[in-house]
Amino acid sequence: MYGGTVPALENISFNVPAGRFTVIVGPSGCGKTSLLMMLAGLRAQTQGTIQCLGRPIPQPDPLRVGVIFQEASLYPWLTALENIEFPLSLRGTEKKEHRRRAQAMLELVGLSGFGERYPHELSGGMKQRVSIARGLVQDPPVLLMDEPFAALDEQTRMTMGHELLRIWSTTSKTVVFITHSLTEAVYLADEVLVMSARPGRIIDRIHVDLPRPRSYDMMATDVFGRLRDRIWQQIRKSDA
Amino acid sequence: MKIVFARLALLALVLAAWELLPRHGIVNPLLLPPLGDVLAMLGELLQRGQVREALGVSAAEVLLAFVVAVPLGAALGVLIAENDYLGEVFKPMLFIVFAIPKSIFLPMFILVFGTGFQQKVAYAAFTTTFVVLMSAAAAVESVKQDYLLVARSYGATRLQLVSRVYVPSMMPLLLETLRISMIFNFTGVLIAEMYASRTGIGHLIASWGENFQMKQLFAGVVLLAAAAIVFNEAVRFLESRVSAWRT
Repeated sequence: MYGGTVPALENISFNVPAGRFTVIVGPSGCGKTSLLMMLAGLRAQTQGTIQCLGRPIPQPDPLRVGVIFQEASLYPWLTALENIEFPLSLRGTEKKEHRRRAQAMLELVGLSGFGERYPHELSGGMKQRVSIARGLVQDPPVLLMDEPFAALDEQTRMTMGHELLRIWSTTSKTVVFITHSLTEAVYLADEVLVMSARPGRIIDRIHVDLPRPRSYDMMATDVFGRLRDRIWQQIRKSDA
Repeated sequence: MKIVFARLALLALVLAAWELLPRHGIVNPLLLPPLGDVLAMLGELLQRGQVREALGVSAAEVLLAFVVAVPLGAALGVLIAENDYLGEVFKPMLFIVFAIPKSIFLPMFILVFGTGFQQKVAYAAFTTTFVVLMSAAAAVESVKQDYLLVARSYGATRLQLVSRVYVPSMMPLLLETLRISMIFNFTGVLIAEMYASRTGIGHLIASWGENFQMKQLFAGVVLLAAAAIVFNEAVRFLESRVSAWRT
């Protein structure tokens, strides 16, 4: 950076209850991704502390925190299975055990039979499933997701959101999910944290008390509409 | 399949024309000897001690220049791609210098190194280093930041970043670099030999040309063309094997 610096984030303070699905939503450029990078130990914050399961996270700790990126982050030179095994292969050497766990993850995300395909042979939605499997393979208690479905078309995006909830319900993971889609936020979340435009601050916490499992019908309900409107109003106010 | 057939037909046509046109006097056989005569001459030349020795010298020059230029160029390329400060300082000048035809520096190499073995190696290595440097820098920059971020988030060490992300990601471009650098390297040695030398296959070809020995000249051309094509295709085959994932 040249010239003056603008703080990306300011006065951020929140906690994420274990086992819950928390969604952070905010306008583009509000520092959502910076925040997630800090939570993952990939970037150091200039001030303040971050604790995860009672300990600070000064550098990536894949056994505590798994990160799921956008679909484009799969390694194109590895097959789907090899991509899923990648985190394991950085540590252990038990190839058979890696293969078994990767295969199990592939099944969990509904892709058994596609393990030998390369990313360019998979659709956008399938790639994202592989990416989720890669994030889950080490079984970290906390999952961070940075706009994982942003590159997908609207329809696939909704299907993937639903899939994610299904997968999440079979685990007991704490999820922090970043998005700029209001519908996605309400559909997925137990709680939505709304961020303001830069410098990013948390300006609202919205509890989503829609029952689980969620279904697509809920999007048409008044409750859903009111929650989405409330987020939208908050973001608009902060942008003005 | 049709395309392959058409390509082979084209090749056959060119070779047949080379054989028949001079043979029937449509093209002056003194300027372009028939293919059959050229191949017969090639067989004969390969028996001669003088030619074998020249080939040996040239091969040694090519090999040594390659061994010097590729690691040197690659190291410098990685350095300016990885170090932002060095990149900002050196890149503009390198781009400008890259545009200059390197052969105009040949007389300087003769002044410094004479007309022997060293001069050929030095000149070829000089021209090749530039190409390798530029391509290596481009190869490093082709590695997506996302790929590195993912690996870091899974706790990859620096060594693992290199071996598991940088190398496989750059492999197709690296092989391409190897292929193109060999073309430059080969050209460098031959130009230096043809310009001023008493040894090497380039020197022989130049003197056959000057003495109007067209059969020998074309035999030499066929031989070098074959060597270059074999190397090129071998690396291209490797390239297609490791870059099947590139779409």
